Amino acid sequence: MIHVEELSVSYGAVRALRNVTMTAPTGKITAVLGTNGAGKTTLLRTISGLVKPTVGTIHCKSTALVGLATDEIARLGIGHVPEGRGVIAEFTIEENLRLGVLASKVNANEGLERQFELFPVLGERRKQYASTLSGGERQMLAMARALIARPQFLLLDEPSLGLAPQVTADMMRMISSLCQHENLTVLLVEQNAKSALRIAHEAVVLHLGSVIASGAAATIGNDSDLRRYYLGMVQ
Amino acid sequence: MGRLLTLRHAYPTSSRLVGTVVLAVLCVAITFTLTALDDSKLAGGAAIAIVIVGLSWLIGWSGQVSLGNSGFMAIGAYVTAIWANHHASTPIIFTLLLATACGAVGGLILALPSTRLRGPYLAGMTLAFSFAVAPLALNFPSLTGGSGGLFLNFLSAPRWFQGLFSGSQALIRANAQWTADVAIVVAAVAFFFMANLIHSSTGRAMRLVRDNDVAAELAGVNLQRTRTLAFAISAAYAGLGGSLLTLLTGSVTPQTYSLPLSILLLTLMVLGGIGTLSGAIIGGLIYSYSDNLVSLINKATGINPTSTFGANLKGIVFGVLLIATMLLAPRGIVGMGRRLTSMIKRPARES
Amino acid sequence: MGSFVTSRFITYLLGGISSGIVIALVALSLVIIWKSTHVLNFAQGAMGMFATFVGMNLVFKGTNYWLCVLLSLAVGLALGGVTERLLIRPLYGKPEINPIVVMVGFLGVLESAIPSIWHTNLLPVPTPFSQIYYQDHGHTILVSPFVIFQVSLALGIMGGVALLFQYTNLGLKMRAAALAPEVSRLLGVRVNRLLTLGWILSSGVGAMAAVIVSSGQSLAATNMDGIFVSAFIAAAVGGLESPVGAITGGLLIGVTESLILGYWSSNMAPLAGVLVLVASLAIRPQGIFTRNSSRRV
Repeated sequence: MIHVEELSVSYGAVRALRNVTMTAPTGKITAVLGTNGAGKTTLLRTISGLVKPTVGTIHCKSTALVGLATDEIARLGIGHVPEGRGVIAEFTIEENLRLGVLASKVNANEGLERQFELFPVLGERRKQYASTLSGGERQMLAMARALIARPQFLLLDEPSLGLAPQVTADMMRMISSLCQHENLTVLLVEQNAKSALRIAHEAVVLHLGSVIASGAAATIGNDSDLRRYYLGMVQ
Repeated sequence: MGRLLTLRHAYPTSSRLVGTVVLAVLCVAITFTLTALDDSKLAGGAAIAIVIVGLSWLIGWSGQVSLGNSGFMAIGAYVTAIWANHHASTPIIFTLLLATACGAVGGLILALPSTRLRGPYLAGMTLAFSFAVAPLALNFPSLTGGSGGLFLNFLSAPRWFQGLFSGSQALIRANAQWTADVAIVVAAVAFFFMANLIHSSTGRAMRLVRDNDVAAELAGVNLQRTRTLAFAISAAYAGLGGSLLTLLTGSVTPQTYSLPLSILLLTLMVLGGIGTLSGAIIGGLIYSYSDNLVSLINKATGINPTSTFGANLKGIVFGVLLIATMLLAPRGIVGMGRRLTSMIKRPARES
Repeated sequence: MGSFVTSRFITYLLGGISSGIVIALVALSLVIIWKSTHVLNFAQGAMGMFATFVGMNLVFKGTNYWLCVLLSLAVGLALGGVTERLLIRPLYGKPEINPIVVMVGFLGVLESAIPSIWHTNLLPVPTPFSQIYYQDHGHTILVSPFVIFQVSLALGIMGGVALLFQYTNLGLKMRAAALAPEVSRLLGVRVNRLLTLGWILSSGVGAMAAVIVSSGQSLAATNMDGIFVSAFIAAAVGGLESPVGAITGGLLIGVTESLILGYWSSNMAPLAGVLVLVASLAIRPQGIFTRNSSRRV
């Protein structure tokens, strides 16, 4: 599991996270929700070591993450699909995927084959440049690239951004089934609270950098105040 | 670097004028007490300070990195030498103004291809320009004296000034001091203009272009014109400094104004403090006494100054100084001074 | 055929290509550093000369030429790594001008340190290849066995670098570290190490270029100064991000230089780079130099 304790992060004078404490239980999907600027992306970036907190700790299993370099954290088995996906347009699909597996102990060719099974579209177009892909296909590529190294943890930052509803629904289903089959621990940051809550087990709601609610996904999802004010979910 | 170069107090022009005059008079008075050697060193330092302040303006205030100022110095130098050799009796001020104008024209020409360039491209472009000086000088030897260069008469003191001196070596002392005083006065004028420029609307426009060119354009500032002006002014100052130096040393060759000089200028500017007037003055002083500095190091470490190592020590020392300053104290001496004074002024605010 | 090959123009063209190849090599090394760390290494030529001084001075003492070349290469590689760790690493995240100034300072230090460490030797460095130009019916073609060696070595190095980047895993990681450092870190790639590797590689290439340039002439700290300026212009004209552009630019400048030398005057030859630069700006006034930030999609 991933446990965050009293985490505070500032960008200069701006407090992005205030004393955030939360847990992402092993093998479950935890949704991180809230409006724009709530600090959701900052939370993920801090876990991955891209941002240094002013106070607080982050533990993954029993390892302390704060103070480790980003690439070290990634090699511990924490995959992270960043906001905007980060697919490298100048590389082919295959090159993007290879990049994902090079730092791990997984055999590159086996990894490629497995991802092409999961995402046949990528396999068909493996030699094409990533710039030729549609939004949904890029999301697939970014996921496949994170998964190819067989991580135990997966941080997903707004995967539904810019995707059509049907594509989003397919993708959420896939995340859910992956989580089950691979026993992944998933932290799912989403502004689209509705689709996230459909597959999540637990949920945390952030507002202006603080945790204002956390608990079982169903409970969070049924709270009408939360729905209206913080989750952008219309009645 | 951007954080240092915000506007500090803007004194009214009249008090700036008074301040400059007082400072100049003070410096001239000091020259009376110094030896001829020190006077000539100060003169050189004043000339270099003029070039540094122009470079500081370009890099610090308008945000354009240029390594080509030695080229503009060369333009001023050659124009001065050529003119002085053909028209020996023109008053100094005319020669200086001519060199300044030629420098400015050179700056305009370089600005043509350069103002669209940013960062490293600009630095390389200006470097290439400074490399073009020697080939041009060598290729028109009838004008420039080829590789041997040109010689002209030293700046010599007018009769009335010479009359102030008596005793042994009176003429030498008179000439040395005259050159120092002329250099100081010219530098004072140049610095005065620069101070006014910084606080004027042109100066503000330049800072805006440096920090946020999109905002500047929206505010109605013409980017190209502003940047070109910055180049021209910086080149004018370099031309003036080069002209002054030529009058002081009495010669100019293609090797005088080359890459090592560009590096030295950069070092002195960074050491003093980029974008500050006082930093430029400090840079000039360090130039004046750089040989003293090096011989001090020689004495302290026992290095023989005539060995090849000793001969190259100056270059090594200044290169190392530049690197160290950039890594450890990029705002230079003036920057460190400001940080110290602000730390002393507000100890209570530190949490 | 004979008179075609020895026609003045072709002679100068060939000479220009051979010197252009060396410029292209240095330009390539500048592009490698630029792509990985966004620093323009003004000390590239001087670093290469330092490595060359260490290695090639031993040729005068009788050491085998090839061993000396290898030694120069080794010193070049090491120097690149040390420079990145000590001088460049502390400056990541600071304003872009800082590493430029630091490298200019380093240039100054090296060019003063070299003559103080090694005595000036006016003898040219002996090479195992003859430098006598080929003759054809009494006309001189500006090609000699040494020139053929120069060009072959340079082409070999370029080819090697291209293979490294396009077809190896290491090359893939290096490209990724340059294009998308943050994303690469998230994938576990040791980006910092790869940036150092970029400097090491580039410095090695620069050292080889300096060895090529200095073989057959006397060793002087300033040997690479003019070439650096031309190489920088070549890289810039091609767009600092493009290795192919840099190589093309280098050849272009080499040929221009040779033609100026032949048809105008040897004094004006160093202006070739400036001419090409101004010409390219005239052709594309909006600037060939607009930096395209890598696209993250």
